[in-house]
Amino acid sequence: MGVAITGIGAISAIGNTVESNLACLLNGQTGIATANLLKHPKPILTGEVKLTNSAIKEKLDLPDTPNSRTALLGMMAAKEAWGKNIARPDLRTGIISSTSVGGMDITEQYYLDLVASKAIDKQLIYTHDSGNTTERIADLLGISGYINTLSTACSSAANSIMLGARLIEQGKLDRVLVGGTDALTSFTVNGFGSLMIYDSEWCRPFDKTRAGLNLGEAAGFILLESEKSLAVTGNKVLCELTGWCNAADAYHQTASSPDGKGATLAIKGALAKAQVRAEQISYVNAHGTGTKNNDLSESTALINVFGKTVPPFSSTKAFTGHTLAAAGAIEAVYSVLAITEGICLPNLNYNTPLEETGLAPVTQVTKAEVKHVLSNSFGFGGNNSSLVFSKASL
Amino acid sequence: MYYINGSSTISHQASFRNPGFAKNMQPLAKGSEVVKPDYKEFIDAKLIRRMSQILRMSIATSVDCLAQANEKNAGAIVVGTGLGCLQDTEKFLQTIKTVEGLIPPTSFIQSTHNTISGQISLVLGNHNYNMTHTQNSLSFERALEDATLLLDEGTDNVLIGAADEAIPVLDTFAKNLGHHNEDLTSGATFLSLSNKRAKSGKVIIEACEANGRVEKHHEHLKHFLERNEVAFGDMDLILSIAPISDENTEIKAIDITKYSGQYLTNAAFAVQVAIDLISNRSHSFASINNQSPIKRVLVYNNLIPGNLGLTLLRSIEA
Repeated sequence: MGVAITGIGAISAIGNTVESNLACLLNGQTGIATANLLKHPKPILTGEVKLTNSAIKEKLDLPDTPNSRTALLGMMAAKEAWGKNIARPDLRTGIISSTSVGGMDITEQYYLDLVASKAIDKQLIYTHDSGNTTERIADLLGISGYINTLSTACSSAANSIMLGARLIEQGKLDRVLVGGTDALTSFTVNGFGSLMIYDSEWCRPFDKTRAGLNLGEAAGFILLESEKSLAVTGNKVLCELTGWCNAADAYHQTASSPDGKGATLAIKGALAKAQVRAEQISYVNAHGTGTKNNDLSESTALINVFGKTVPPFSSTKAFTGHTLAAAGAIEAVYSVLAITEGICLPNLNYNTPLEETGLAPVTQVTKAEVKHVLSNSFGFGGNNSSLVFSKASL
Repeated sequence: MYYINGSSTISHQASFRNPGFAKNMQPLAKGSEVVKPDYKEFIDAKLIRRMSQILRMSIATSVDCLAQANEKNAGAIVVGTGLGCLQDTEKFLQTIKTVEGLIPPTSFIQSTHNTISGQISLVLGNHNYNMTHTQNSLSFERALEDATLLLDEGTDNVLIGAADEAIPVLDTFAKNLGHHNEDLTSGATFLSLSNKRAKSGKVIIEACEANGRVEKHHEHLKHFLERNEVAFGDMDLILSIAPISDENTEIKAIDITKYSGQYLTNAAFAVQVAIDLISNRSHSFASINNQSPIKRVLVYNNLIPGNLGLTLLRSIEA
């Protein structure tokens, strides 16, 4: 028996709700286009959420006071996942978010003024730290007590989901909203540019000609509940989180090891925790950033675990862009949808397999009975996390 | 019951590899600096050059901590940091704001919060669970809770720590926020936690709990002590992170920030002070004088109103 998932919320370049995200996934419609909201010296492809900050504040009925975009996106997705649930004293409720940039979208705008010793609106300064983004989301939903934020770069949200599940399994919390959020920033766009892994064309995960990633912004949350909580809320169980594992690659600060050691450990650990054999995995939602390094290392890890019979797999990053700390969260939502809708999601922009591995991802929406989904998230610092989602009470 | 088999702190006090440092420690003078060890003893000289202060402090204390616990490696690495790798973050921000064309990636690579835990895994060649918590003033406690969760799940020998670094621009931030007299400082503390006592272990963590957005601190403390079957009078010393504004006269605490300076994870420094006082059977600290050695200490993290971290430590002998 895993931990029940009863609510999902997502906002990304392909939609402001789970429903609109699903519609684009089914239609094979990418959200990656030339950046419009983010100011960049030259045209650049990003997966932007198609709402200004003011529009989000209006939707959430918030005053027009400073708020990082990271917090605002998080509020949208968290509110959707939380749904009609209410804070109540008989259920210990927590929230674990994750972010890599925190309020950097605001900080990078006033930083030079600050250095020049100009007076800055202190409400702007308070938006900077990552923990603050989560506190604002918690405030919106009326959650207090266990409020936490993880920051392990691109695996952050998978780790939030994992920590939430562990807190429920250990009886520390009855229900917990878990996920992640990251806004697009000049900081990260320039950062991946400086690493020479920002593709000027559409990213092509798992394709031989792949040349890097496109960044995106997003937020995703899922609501985890214990049996005790379910008895009180009566919420419908969408599916279960049954497996999780985090492992360190310990190879390089940013690059993944050629033998996929950390990734292999994470996948094997998650399967073991779920008590699911490799051949029982119906679909893999891969990390698949579109960089030379990640996709080869991840393919190697898949072969290490699954041998010659790698299950249907795809990366959804050609739809959303790489949304960093939010990636594991929106991909968790997509993994839930794969189970509830009975589909394997397509990998856009794929033509030719990697010479080294010959693996070909799913390129069309494929109807299937999806019982167990493996979702991978790998980050800087060699931080590798895998989750297993399973059909309810299998 | 979680045994502290090793603990190490680099701070603005002479806390590193200096047992007994806490007893006669004085409040910091204005403009104090990190008391640096010779980092070459702990980190490969080739790597030091590129490392920011927070990375150097964290790796040196991690390595020292494991050596004290007589452990070659750790079953997991868990780190808390309030603001992360500020030096590299600012350096990269400065670069993108002022340099056109090709920019070097090193400071971007090292800007993520989990550079600390990642670099420790690299130095140790550690493939186990690796986590980074960042919940402003409760980052250390969140990491410590995760570590105790891991121990309860059966992972042993968890390396858990917290680190934050001050950079000059933080003072400008603080001034803008109306804080003119804060002494913003840096520090790193790592603990080697285990379900089993090693020879080096003299102190245990009885409990750690953190809560965000709480109003009545005193009520939380009361319930926390009740759950752990500890009476107010059982505590020999309370180390708080800010002065305690509470009508309850039972609470007699020493404000540890006077000794560590202010950083978001200085509750970890307070834990090191507690460990040092308990292990060395000290009778007194600051204005607190006890008849018998200090055996039980509460670290009361009230830095940010609404956030409350509670960490209870006691002597193994108690």
